[in-house]
Order: sequence, then C-alpha cells, then structure tokens
Amino acid sequence: MTPIDRAFRLARWGGVVTGAALLGVAGVYVRALVYTPVERFQGPAQKIFYIHVPSAWGALLGFAVTGVLSILYLWVKDRRIDIAAAASAEVGVALSVVLLTTGPIWGKPIWGTWWTWDARLTSTLFLFLLFVGYLVMRGVVVDPGLRSRFSAVIGVMGLVLIPFIHLTVYMFRTLHPAPIVLKPSKPSLPGEMLVTLLTSVAVFTVVYLGFLTQRYALGLIRDLREREAAGDA
Amino acid sequence: MPVPVVATRGLARRYGYRPVLRDVSLELYAGQALLLVGPNGAGKTTLIRVLAGLLRPSAGTVERHAPAGLVGHDAMLYPVLTAAENLRFFARLYGGDCLSRVEPLLERIGLADRAHDRVATFSRGMTQRLGIARALLHAPTLLLLDEPLSGLDDKNRQLVLALLTALRDDGAALLVVSHQLEGFAGVASHMARLADTKLGPVVALDGRDPSAVFRELGA
Amino acid sequence: MVGLVRAATVIALKDLSLELRTKTAFASGLVFAVLVLAILFFSRDPTAVASRDIAPGALWVTFTFASILGLNRAFVLEHEQRAMDAILLAPIPRSAIFWGKFAGNLVFVGTIEAVSIPLFVVFYDVAVWPYLPSLLLVIALATVAFVAVGTLFSAIAVRTQYAEMMLPLLLLPFLVPPLVGGVQLTARVLDGRPLSDLGGWLRLIGGFDLAFVTLAALLFPVVLED
Repeated sequence: MTPIDRAFRLARWGGVVTGAALLGVAGVYVRALVYTPVERFQGPAQKIFYIHVPSAWGALLGFAVTGVLSILYLWVKDRRIDIAAAASAEVGVALSVVLLTTGPIWGKPIWGTWWTWDARLTSTLFLFLLFVGYLVMRGVVVDPGLRSRFSAVIGVMGLVLIPFIHLTVYMFRTLHPAPIVLKPSKPSLPGEMLVTLLTSVAVFTVVYLGFLTQRYALGLIRDLREREAAGDA
Repeated sequence: MPVPVVATRGLARRYGYRPVLRDVSLELYAGQALLLVGPNGAGKTTLIRVLAGLLRPSAGTVERHAPAGLVGHDAMLYPVLTAAENLRFFARLYGGDCLSRVEPLLERIGLADRAHDRVATFSRGMTQRLGIARALLHAPTLLLLDEPLSGLDDKNRQLVLALLTALRDDGAALLVVSHQLEGFAGVASHMARLADTKLGPVVALDGRDPSAVFRELGA
Repeated sequence: MVGLVRAATVIALKDLSLELRTKTAFASGLVFAVLVLAILFFSRDPTAVASRDIAPGALWVTFTFASILGLNRAFVLEHEQRAMDAILLAPIPRSAIFWGKFAGNLVFVGTIEAVSIPLFVVFYDVAVWPYLPSLLLVIALATVAFVAVGTLFSAIAVRTQYAEMMLPLLLLPFLVPPLVGGVQLTARVLDGRPLSDLGGWLRLIGGFDLAFVTLAALLFPVVLED
C-alpha cells in the first residue's frame, strides 16, 4: 500500500467519523427540541446553546492543538506535524465561524443586542482573527519548509497569547461593564438540559476529530502530490 | 596530503520538494580556481549558497574550515551608505582585524577616491568591485562568486579578472559560476559543468582555454 | 566570534544611520502619525464627546499604526540587495540580529512617539506635564511589546508575497493586550491617578513584555534558518 493510498483511506475514515458525528448533531437537536424542556426565561432561543457552547469548545480545542503541535514541530521538524497543526487551525476557524454566528443570533432576543464585548466572545473573536492570519500566511509562502517554520512560530506565539488576550478582555470588561439587557451569568442548568449539553459537547468533539482527520488526510495527499510533481518520490 | 579548503560528499538540496542538487561531491584546494558552468536553473547558485553556509544541505555533508567569502548575484550592500560605511559595517560584524583591511581593500579595487560616495551613485562595475571587497574583508581562504562578470564593461571585467587571478596566486581557493567563459583562460585552473542537478567531472585546464574544454564536460 | 552585544549594537547603529541618511521612513512615519492624530480628532460628535475623552485612544491608535509602518521597513532594507545574506555569513550569534533589529526599531518607533506627544498635547488639549514620568513609563512598556512581536513578524512578513498586508494581519491580534492596557493606563494617568493604583494593567503589560521579548528572541533564529 503506497503512502497516498493510506492517506486516501485515512480521508475515507475521516469521512465516516464526520458523517457519524453529523448524525449525532442531528440526534442532539432532536433531543434538544423534543425531549429537553424549554428554558423558562429565554424560551426557545436558548436551544441554540446546544450548538453554540460545543462549537466554542471545538474551536478552542482546535486552536490549542495547533499551538501544541507547533511546539512539537519546532522540536521534531516532521512535516506531518505541520500538516496536522494547519488542519486543526482550519477546523478551529470553521467552528469559530459557527460560534460567532450563533452567538449574535442568540444574543439579539436575549441580550437585546447582536454583539456584546463580553470577555469570552471578544477573546474568541481575536483568536479567530489570529488563526485566520495564520492560514492566510500559509497561503502566501510558497516554500513548504519555510511555510512550516513560519506557521510553527506563529502557532507558538498564539498559544502564549491566548491567556493574555483573555486577561485583557476580562480586565477591560470588569472595569467597564457593557450595557446588557440580561446578565450572561449562566444559570445552573437543570439536569435534562445539562445532559443534552454534555452530549452535544461530546458529539462536537467527534465532529472536530472527523474534520481534523479529513483535513489532515487531504493535506497529506496534497503534500504527496507536490512531491510527486517535483519528481522526488 | 593537503587538506581541501572545502569538501562536499553526497550533497543534495531541495527547494520545497524539487531537488535542486543531487549527490554533489567536490573538493577544492588552496590555489585552485574552479570555473563552474551549466544552464540556467541547474543549481549553480544553490550550490554556492550551500557551500557558503547560507543553505543547509538536505542530505550529505559540507566540510569547510573557515568562513567563505561570497559574491552573489546581488551586491549585498546598502545603497544609501557610502562605500567605506558599507565595508566598515561588515568589518565590525566579522570582528578581528577586519576593520584595518577596509582602506587597503578600497585601494585594491580602485575605489579609494570614491570611498565616501553613496553606493547608490555607483555604476554596476563599481558596485560589483565593492561587493568583492566586502567578501574579502575577513581574508577568506575560499571565495565563492556567482556570475561576477555579468553586466560589466570591458574595463571592469579586466579589473575583476585581474583581482581574481591575484587572489588565486595568493593561495585562496576560488569557485566561480559564470556564463561567460571569455577571459577566464588565465584565471581558472579547473572546470566543471553542473546540469540538471548533477555535477559532471572536474577537468584540469592545464593552461587550455575554457571554451576549448567545454565540449569535454559532457555538454 | 563577535559577541552578542557588540554585534547587536553594530546592527542597530547601522540601521539608525540608514534612517538618518534617508529620513524618508522617519518623515513619512511622523507625517502619518500627525495625520492619524488629526483625523481621529474628528471621529466623534463634538457636541456629545469631548476631545479629551477620546485622547488616550487616539494616542494609542496612532502609535499602533505608526509602529506597523516603521516595522515594515526594518527587513525590507535588508532584502533590497540581499545584504541580509552577508550578515548571516558573519560569525555572529543569530540572536544578535534580533537584538540589533529590536534596538533599532525601539529607537525608531520611540522617536516617532516622542515627536507625536507634543502634537497630541496641543491637538487634544490635555495636560501631560505633571504626569509625564508615569506616561513615559506606560509608553515605554507598551512600545517594547509592540516592537518585540513586530520585529519577529516583520522578518516573517518580508519573506511572504504581500509583506505590507501580512504584517498588520499577523501583528494586530498580538497588539491587543499592550494596546488596550496602554489606553487604560494613559486614561488613568491623565486623570491624575498614581501608578500604585494601576498595578493590574502594569503587571499585564509587564508580563506581556517579559513573555514575548523572550519568545521572540528564542524564535527569531527559526525564522532565519534556511
């Protein structure tokens, strides 16, 4: 079995995992809409939480994995680690888009505003932008060796930046409370809702893994094809 | 048994995944001047950059005992600084007694009277000579030159060639990449062809004209 | 082998003499700073918001953009005629190149800031005189942060196809903590609050400086490697 066959097999497995995970998301929503009670104060709008919170988890997981893989790359210098780091950043960015769109949709009826400079939301926005920059940079560096090293440098820097951004936004907000209709202090969830939320977090972890595997496999295939094209089999 | 100034074994280098050099083994001794020819994109510039230590080989080894002097395609100078300022800056980075060589080198390349003019006002030939002076600041035993004659007029070509001959006679090892063979008759002691990422046999010129030897190189 | 401090000093002095020789980068940075300060003055409803209220923000937005402009050119000069190759051939530690560029950029950005402050005082009618030492400390802390990350990223950006666009895109997320901290501290300092009241933000920027100056110096050789 050639490396490229193995990569294609990995991509198919990733597809299976993603498919199962997306079925899981549908299942979570059946449970959320049909079997989970409507939240007393927020009404049906709260249902978006079962996609919003897990995608936040997935996005942060993606960025953290990119950061850790970047450190590992600088140490081991294996191109596959770089491909995996980039794949994780891509999934993180995609899940951030879900997070940053579902947030305002929920915020409008509940907080009375599309956007609020809440600490968590703002941190995610900046991290999202940082990793978009990371991916854009990968697109404009032609040499794969250079691309890997630059990516790893930005990935490591990003990992260290995460706590600083969070602290900054947190300090900014506590000193200047934003005008919000309803405080976003999370009510302790009743059992039914908690089970649904935790199930959804688990399902989104599988979504992340499925996407990651597929993007990683595609990255490997592209890399192997580039090698072939360069006549260096 | 003399020790080579630079020796490579099984040297390979890739750009991305494209192999630019494959299995290059080369030894260069003091007082030798190797003229390296070959088509565009054959990997000549890459070989020079690997030998200088600017690029890491993807495979194989490079053995070099002292820092090399490099005259690249670009002059590697700051156009807004004067000739003397450029040389003094690099001399300070090299340390030792390099600073004391600035004046004699300017004299040697015939730019002593223009020492305090900005490089931006120099002709191509003057810039090239200054680039060579920059490469000689630390009195390297190995001098690598990438197309040192390109864009030079007759007068400057003669000046550069005379300088290279003198350096070789002083015991430096020279590796010159050039498209122009003309004029190298008295300078080069050996010749080789790099084509399609591979280095051909190194042929001793023994006083022959490089263009006469060209056919022997497997072109 | 030339020592780290010596090599870094030589590189920084060379960069500054390049600036002094051309003055274009410095002049355009300064004019740019004046323009941003002037334009931001109009970015408010004069009947509702006093210019003094937006002054700290205006100051730091100006510093941010002027720094990016200055940082962009730090490595462009080196690649113009590939002079960087000749530096890399010299027997100096690679991190000396970082420290040299870092020091040169600090002086460059610091000078633009120093010249902008009097204009800021005049334009926004703020009294800085009694608080000058505190204000300078705040500016110094945040500028170190800007320049440390900026020096590392401009070495990356210069080797991409769109250097002028890549630097702000990569750099701005990293400027959030020093920028926000700078604005908060400036506002409080100009309100006459003593520095001892502002420990939280000072610690944040100080910690940022410590973490990112170290990290940038460590990662810089990775960027230069070929």
